[in-house]
Amino acid sequence: MRPLVRLQGISKFYPRVHRPGERLRAFAALMAGREPQDGVEVLHDISLEVSAGQSFGIIGENGAGKSTLLKVLTGVITPSKGSVEVNARVAALLELGAGFQPEFSGIDNIKMKASLLGMSSKQLDRRMDDILAFADIGEYVYEPVKHYSSGMVVRLGFAVVAASDPELLITDEVLAVGDESFQKKCIRWIESFLAKGNTLLMVSHSMYLVQKLCTKALWVHQGRARELGDVFPVTQAYLAYHEEKNALEKQQRHAHDGGSGLYCVRKFTFLGHSGNEDPVIRHGEDLEAELILSSPDGRPPVALFGVMRADGTPVYGVASDFDGITPERIDDRLFRFRIRFKSLQLLAGSYSIRGHAMDPEGMRLCDSSEHRFTVSGQSREMGFIHLPHQWNGGD
Amino acid sequence: MKLLSNNLFHQLVSRAIRTDYLENLTGFAWLILQPLMLLAVYAFVFTTIFKARIPDAAGVSYVPYLAVAFWPWTAFSESILRSANAISANAALIGKVAFPGELLPLSTVTATFVMHMAGYLAVLLVLQLMGTDIHWLGLLGAIPVLLFMFIFASGLALLTSALQVFVRDVAQILPPLMTFWFFTTPILYSSSLLPDKWASVIKLNPMTWYVERLRDFLLLGNYHWSISDLLVPSFSILVFWASLVFFRRCSGHFEDFL
Repeated sequence: MRPLVRLQGISKFYPRVHRPGERLRAFAALMAGREPQDGVEVLHDISLEVSAGQSFGIIGENGAGKSTLLKVLTGVITPSKGSVEVNARVAALLELGAGFQPEFSGIDNIKMKASLLGMSSKQLDRRMDDILAFADIGEYVYEPVKHYSSGMVVRLGFAVVAASDPELLITDEVLAVGDESFQKKCIRWIESFLAKGNTLLMVSHSMYLVQKLCTKALWVHQGRARELGDVFPVTQAYLAYHEEKNALEKQQRHAHDGGSGLYCVRKFTFLGHSGNEDPVIRHGEDLEAELILSSPDGRPPVALFGVMRADGTPVYGVASDFDGITPERIDDRLFRFRIRFKSLQLLAGSYSIRGHAMDPEGMRLCDSSEHRFTVSGQSREMGFIHLPHQWNGGD
Repeated sequence: MKLLSNNLFHQLVSRAIRTDYLENLTGFAWLILQPLMLLAVYAFVFTTIFKARIPDAAGVSYVPYLAVAFWPWTAFSESILRSANAISANAALIGKVAFPGELLPLSTVTATFVMHMAGYLAVLLVLQLMGTDIHWLGLLGAIPVLLFMFIFASGLALLTSALQVFVRDVAQILPPLMTFWFFTTPILYSSSLLPDKWASVIKLNPMTWYVERLRDFLLLGNYHWSISDLLVPSFSILVFWASLVFFRRCSGHFEDFL
């Protein structure tokens, strides 16, 4: 496969340009072809090769350099070091409404955006109906864009990009703004776009979207490529990193306020499964967990249990006050909850269970703890839960 | 020229014309009124107060003499002043969409020239109706002169708009600089009125050639050739080319400074 995109050793260094003196010095350095003296390095030695037909997700924390990487890719900025090679008709949607003039009508802005994407006026005439149908904002196209909601702006932007018939689509977290049905429409469009053998590079914070649309992923961490490879291992490593970070922050928070003044999770364990390993439960077995909560004022708190899939999709949640349960009092301030999920109907896969401490009114979530577990099984059923069923008819 | 068939360029020019001139009635009226008022003030000051005379121009009165040079100058200076901010005003676009950035100043210059040339043609017609003898055949010479002036202005617009990104003072320095240039160009006066020493200095100003050639062609019917007819257009093209090279060298770094 020919490489569609090849980045080699990309570094990007932003010079400091706040004061006039700094600007002049940075400008002089630029003219002389020297490296600027001081500044911020946003990207460091990133190499990436994308072949035609691949779909790449770029993930990472805020400020990790993902957007800068996309800007380098699209040629909006020049990298300080390294080489960029792109052999495709590119359409980039780096920001919703980039290139839109708020004073002008939607139609005028479609024309502008289309010409920015390299469409001729004849091509645009032929595709105008498609664009309007895709954007689906009705009579609003004749209104100035400044009266649009952000969702409408992104509809218009995506519609033009879709009509420009690109080989490589580059998007930066723009789908998040659209409403549910528009997001679905975009995802369907991207899926058919990929099915035609086109290439996608997208930045997203939604691991769900990345896993759904991409086959490969790049995790950018503090300007460096931390992991690069198939989408699942990379996104899981990224999620695990966040888990650890959150756990660390929570510990610090606990240490800070000494655990007082709040309803806290003191202990959260699986019953019947000892050790530090994540327990493996066979499909159909019972799952039993114990949650010990502390209450600063001695009133019994409410416990909430939630089960979710490894990617965060919620499966089931129930609180003790839904079922009118009063916990077992251990002492003045400690309460014990035990829950048993009988003959667990989850299908094989990775899951996690969370135990939450809520205030006695069941209104406010005060603390949480999480455990992973694996369900094993041989079933060929699809989805993640077994629904009891029977087949009727026939012999 | 690929530029003329570029759809983006068309869009940018028509957008510039619409926002700057046609969006509101005053914008359009202003286009004609502002140079007309300045022309009236200068005409009053120089013919009535200073009693300026134009010794070398037999039979040509001061107002057409001034007007023929004044309109192209307005187009020239306004296009440069307007496009100085072309990049910084479109920072949002520059940082998000990959496109040839030089189209921004070039479209501003084009829009300004298109509008002012329409005004210029109207002024020439009015002058003819008022009894001035306009040499319409001279347009054949005047149009290439204006074209080279457009190229010169485009070059300077590329240079200033790129510089403005790095050195914010450019937008402040430019207006007084253009005023200085206006007075050192024989627009309000004739270079033949100057002492020989200064007359040769002022010949170094490329704008001198432009306004004098326009007067030669349109008012005086003077079609003689000189070495300047080769030098100034070549110089203008050189300025344009050098500015374009400079602009392209800078354009990948605009985002760092915006």
